[in-house]
Amino acid sequence: MNDDRSASIELTEDLPHSPEKLWKVLTTGELISRWMGLKPKGFEPVEGNEFTYQTGAAGKWDGTIHCKVLESVLNRKLVYSWKGGHAENTGYGTLLDTVVTFELSPTATGTVLKISHSGFKVPRNDTAYRNMSAGWNECAENLQSFDKEN
Amino acid sequence: MTNDTQIDSVFHAMSDMRRRVLFDRIVRTDGITVAELTEGSGVTQGAVSQHLKVLREADLIQGTPQGRRTLYHARPQGLAPLVDWLAMYETFWPARVAALRDLLKEIDE
Repeated sequence: MNDDRSASIELTEDLPHSPEKLWKVLTTGELISRWMGLKPKGFEPVEGNEFTYQTGAAGKWDGTIHCKVLESVLNRKLVYSWKGGHAENTGYGTLLDTVVTFELSPTATGTVLKISHSGFKVPRNDTAYRNMSAGWNECAENLQSFDKEN
Repeated sequence: MTNDTQIDSVFHAMSDMRRRVLFDRIVRTDGITVAELTEGSGVTQGAVSQHLKVLREADLIQGTPQGRRTLYHARPQGLAPLVDWLAMYETFWPARVAALRDLLKEIDE
């Protein structure tokens, strides 16, 4: 039997916009924060770049999501790691160690965007997961108010 | 909606590989005793019983007395809290994509 089960989230979206425009929205800090509801700190669409997202703190976790650009192909593909939890908090559970991938394919009418968020280990440490979910909930609330304002 | 206590107990029960192996074995049977589960496991019956207790408390298995023995059956539906929990993440990206669509439209103007 496997130690952990891995789960991923996959979305495919057909968008009536060019890959160039979509790329700009996916890779410009100020624009990212407007659709993600999370402000990236130190982001550059360059392989090896390390950046963070800040979400609401929960328990002993300070709410920082640590990311590193694993792959960046202009107007085509952006891959970064997405790690939550706290490394030194061993009693608190292992890190959430996932990968987010954006793939852009041009079409006659725009772009097909594929989003994949993979590497969720089920089951794993309970508390770290619950902390992450608290962070997610807060993001969802921010996003709702963003939608209303716009 | 699943409550936190349920999620806690299922994650806790399944956070131990030995318990996942036990659960996996029980799922594949029509009922199995602690003695059968202990056989060839390399651990004592007492240790197996302890793990079974945790699985039972998480509602992942059920013990049915049969004469002097207890037969353990799996309750795979007990895993529902994990599925529910993951579903929460499933809503994150669709919501982000909706916001992305709005932003792309806005930039057009």
